[in-house]
Amino acid sequence: MAITEELLGLREQTLAAIEAAETSAALEQVRVAVLGKAGSLTGYLRSMGQIPKEERAEVGKAVNEARVAVEEALAARKAVLDAAELEAAIDAAAVDVTLPGRAQQMGTRHLINRMIDEISEIFLGLGYTVATGPEVETDYYNFTALNAPADHPSRSMQDTFYVHDLSGDSSRVRGESDVLLRTQTSGVQVHVMEDQDLPIYIISPGKVYRRDVADPTHLPQFHQVEGLVIDEGITFGDLKGTLDYVCKQIFGPDRKTRFRAHFFPFTEPSAEADVSCGVCGGEGCRVCKGTGWIEILGCGMVDPNVLAMSGIDPEKYSGFAFGFGVERVACLKYNVPDLRMLLEGDMRFLRQF
Amino acid sequence: MKISLKWLSDYIDVPVDVKALCDRLDLTGTGVEGVETLGGAFDGVVVGYVEECEVHPDSDHMHVVKVNVGAEEPVQIVCGAPNIAAGIKLPVATIGAVLPGDFKIKKSKLRGVTSCGMCCSQRELGMGNNHDGIWILPDDAPVGMPIAEYLKMTDTVLDLEITPNRPDCLSVTGFAREVGAMYQLDWNNPLEAMAAKMELDENAAPVDSEVSVTIDDAKRCPRYTARIIRDCKIGPSPDWLVERLTAIGQRPINNIVDVTNYILFLFGQPLHAFDLDKLKNAEGKANVVVRAAYEGEKLVTLDGEERALTPDMTVIATPELGAVALAGVMGGLDTEVTDATTSILLEAATFEAGRTSRTSRNLGLISESSMRYERGVDDHGIELRSAAAAALMVEVAGGTVSYAEVNAEGIVDEWPVVSEPRSLSFRIDRFCAMMGADIPSDYITDVLVRLGCQVSAGEGDNVLSIVAPTFRPDLEREIDLYEEVLRLWGMDRIPSTLPGGRMRVGARSTEELVADKINATLRACGLNETMTYSFAEPSDIERLRMNVEGLAVELMNPLNADQSVMRQSIIPGLLRSVAYNQARGVRNVQLYEIGMVFSTAEGRKKPKERRKVAGVMAGAMNGAAWNQASVPFDFFDGKGVLESLARELALPKVRFKALSADEAPHLQPGRAAEMLAGGTVIGWVGEVHPLAADAFEASAPVVAFELDVAALVKSAQASRPYVDVPTFPAVSVDAAFVVSEDVTHEKMLQCMKSAGGKLLEDVQLFDVYRDEARVGAGKKSMAYALTYRAPDRTLTSEEVEKAHARLVQKVSAATGAELR
Repeated sequence: MAITEELLGLREQTLAAIEAAETSAALEQVRVAVLGKAGSLTGYLRSMGQIPKEERAEVGKAVNEARVAVEEALAARKAVLDAAELEAAIDAAAVDVTLPGRAQQMGTRHLINRMIDEISEIFLGLGYTVATGPEVETDYYNFTALNAPADHPSRSMQDTFYVHDLSGDSSRVRGESDVLLRTQTSGVQVHVMEDQDLPIYIISPGKVYRRDVADPTHLPQFHQVEGLVIDEGITFGDLKGTLDYVCKQIFGPDRKTRFRAHFFPFTEPSAEADVSCGVCGGEGCRVCKGTGWIEILGCGMVDPNVLAMSGIDPEKYSGFAFGFGVERVACLKYNVPDLRMLLEGDMRFLRQF
Repeated sequence: MKISLKWLSDYIDVPVDVKALCDRLDLTGTGVEGVETLGGAFDGVVVGYVEECEVHPDSDHMHVVKVNVGAEEPVQIVCGAPNIAAGIKLPVATIGAVLPGDFKIKKSKLRGVTSCGMCCSQRELGMGNNHDGIWILPDDAPVGMPIAEYLKMTDTVLDLEITPNRPDCLSVTGFAREVGAMYQLDWNNPLEAMAAKMELDENAAPVDSEVSVTIDDAKRCPRYTARIIRDCKIGPSPDWLVERLTAIGQRPINNIVDVTNYILFLFGQPLHAFDLDKLKNAEGKANVVVRAAYEGEKLVTLDGEERALTPDMTVIATPELGAVALAGVMGGLDTEVTDATTSILLEAATFEAGRTSRTSRNLGLISESSMRYERGVDDHGIELRSAAAAALMVEVAGGTVSYAEVNAEGIVDEWPVVSEPRSLSFRIDRFCAMMGADIPSDYITDVLVRLGCQVSAGEGDNVLSIVAPTFRPDLEREIDLYEEVLRLWGMDRIPSTLPGGRMRVGARSTEELVADKINATLRACGLNETMTYSFAEPSDIERLRMNVEGLAVELMNPLNADQSVMRQSIIPGLLRSVAYNQARGVRNVQLYEIGMVFSTAEGRKKPKERRKVAGVMAGAMNGAAWNQASVPFDFFDGKGVLESLARELALPKVRFKALSADEAPHLQPGRAAEMLAGGTVIGWVGEVHPLAADAFEASAPVVAFELDVAALVKSAQASRPYVDVPTFPAVSVDAAFVVSEDVTHEKMLQCMKSAGGKLLEDVQLFDVYRDEARVGAGKKSMAYALTYRAPDRTLTSEEVEKAHARLVQKVSAATGAELR
């Protein structure tokens, strides 16, 4: 029974070698030496034919038992070694997580357009359409159709940029062309009133121009968001409710609004709206000049003349309009100290927003 | 406009709480821009009550008194006045007070007795000459009250912003009416009483015998009246008049001019006093003509400036002297009232509003008169206001007022255009519906009456019939009345609601939605949105070396030469921003802007406006980091941005075509391309020509692009069609072709795509290699990874080999390429 004893010896020897293998590679060597093509146990399997018949069953059984035992031991040892190696690999791969990441640099939105997006989103939620129009207008769309008197000071060369009219039309006002850089986006509203079906619920954000020298609080080009609503049964209460909602959305739910009677040619009755000062909470401080309020927009019920000029029956329809300066709102929200920064393109400024 | 509350209180009970008054003014449409308190000179001088009075222990005429000045403890004062006694009230200057003559009150000792203040005489306070003793005040004077307040010397002056539609508020009486309407208070109009004081002198020559008035153009001057005041003595005005005018910041001049100003501020009626004798001709007659100025006519105005006039301006003239005053704006220097003047021609008139406004703007000459005329001065009541002025002139300067033969008013009166009061309806139900609040009809009626309207029941239910006063030219329509009632009722009392209309959806236009995608893509590519001026220097385009279509749009009134045209490209503005950053040590700059560019052509009225998206990239996307190299920007960074944009907008058939130096002189030759989508030119991308960058002080290389937004919008597709996700495996084969330098990638791609047939799924260029020794001079090796796949089966290696061999052969034949 030398063969079975040999096998027993080989089995014990192999199991010991498996237990002793410290790495997957060493374990593999053991496996190859025993179970590989030229392995020792494989040799027994191959030589089964030479075993005498009567011993074959017994030897065969012993060989198989040895093989099963070795395979199980190999698998068990492999699991242990794999786990240890994975753990070692993980340990080795640990990084300093405070090192900077590998981010693709994203660009930024300009503060003013960010504000316009924010405001547009509020009005889209209220069911308004966003309308746009040209920056160069005729004085009809910028002034006349908005009920501005022919001699209104805002029409003067002091306040409004005029461009040369190459059509050969003579201008009506001495020394002035009737083509100009729009001073308000209200012209868009006139186009909408002329072209669109009622009811109208629009806002018109855009760039406007006024003849102010650039300084910390003025720019010759800035942005407005104007709005126009025309429908049956629109009330002054609707104007108040809408703008109160919008101001709270922009500045926060704690802020209050108030409406002061004012005068604009485009609206009647007209008002200016203030929001309560965010710095002092309405107590009065340097920012609000002690009043507790900060002027934010002009508004009013659309003047019947304006409706009539655009072919809308003022007896049937009423509406309201409003407009505010985006730069002003942005500066109030972000405390930008100098408006000119908005046009310099300084990366260190732009990348803050 | 400045309003003295003390003056105002002559006509109405002014609310005591000034802060509340200002708030109410703000809310009802009169902005309060400033509040100034006058009378501070008597700080520390208060009403005192003498509780004890004892003889000074070391003096025979002085007394030691204990005076209650409203503080917790009475103060001890040594007083030398003979009429001092216990139980009297008197003005006391406490420690720290400063009396006229810069006399500061300090704690002192008089013959060994401490004195903590001073009991004052009238003269010591500068309020009269009585120095016989201390000033004994009435028993009801409140102890502790500042003397200035007790004597009503304090005045609060409000600086008000009167909106252009409210000429009536530009006077004390008009403002009293407004305050009356605000608080539903009655007020007292002094006009008729003041006018009634005027007495006409029946003995002197009548005014119409010495003065004639001719109005050339009634539109320019609806009413002109002239009156004569004779034998006045020019001199300083009395104290009360000086005080009134100085309180509101007016410099007193002389009694006659001061009266004209007083009436202007009191009633809003500008007046002009001419020296009558200077207007008279050789026959002793003043023939006043109101006419258009002649072209080139000149006038030296009261401020000493010589003004060049235009026919748009209206002048007061005489045939002999020519222009003597600029109507409604300012008088002439030559005919002004001087110390030697004895007879006055007093002009009270009304002039065309718009023309006055233009005249004063064009001359840069804004006066108290022009401010009122440009808003409108009522033609009714001028005779009364003139009479009130004349009566006051006689009061302060002596003399007499001449009578007139043709009327009882004593004026020469040309009144060619008489304004008619407007009749309007006020539909209370419609008003309440439009405001969204129930405002009682009693209130409506009351407030309109207080504003000067006549109110009666109109036709129909709840309709009022209104006659608007002529001093309110802004009340033209029913809606104007609504505004009046609303603002006085209080906008804060209207409940807030939201419109409840039907048929409404919020939407953005296709163009805006595409613009949103452009913005999002450019930001995802690492570009930062900026804004630059729409204005440009006329030389910008030339310095940029750019070819542009059309003419630059020139401003007629630019702020400065650097900004005298509208930009034709966004690039110059962006290059300036690159330079701005580089000058401040910021090397890595990635900017873009979406905005309008402008151009025009002969015969065009409005210029063409095109929306462009432009970007610049200088330096690198990021500085070197521990795990990332800093790769300097080149042409392909710009092109990559455009490729991302093409993908996001689903632009069809995008290709880039090299631009020659002639086509794009602003770009560095060889690094410039045009972007096309199908047949549509989208824009260009390239490295800015070093000379162009230099012209804007930007350091090259600067990668830039400028695309037409309309072209992008036109070409953009809402979505791409769905393609089945492949289910069978692909086979990838690499091929490196050696071609001469002039063979482009685009050409290679075309060849491969046409040769590859249906099985060629994808071509990726993975290497471009140049080496004279290995590849040959003027040659390059282009290595492509080619992916073959069939949608319906697994390709066999024979199929792939056959297809690939055909591709290599065709590419080689078409381009002269050799397989490496």
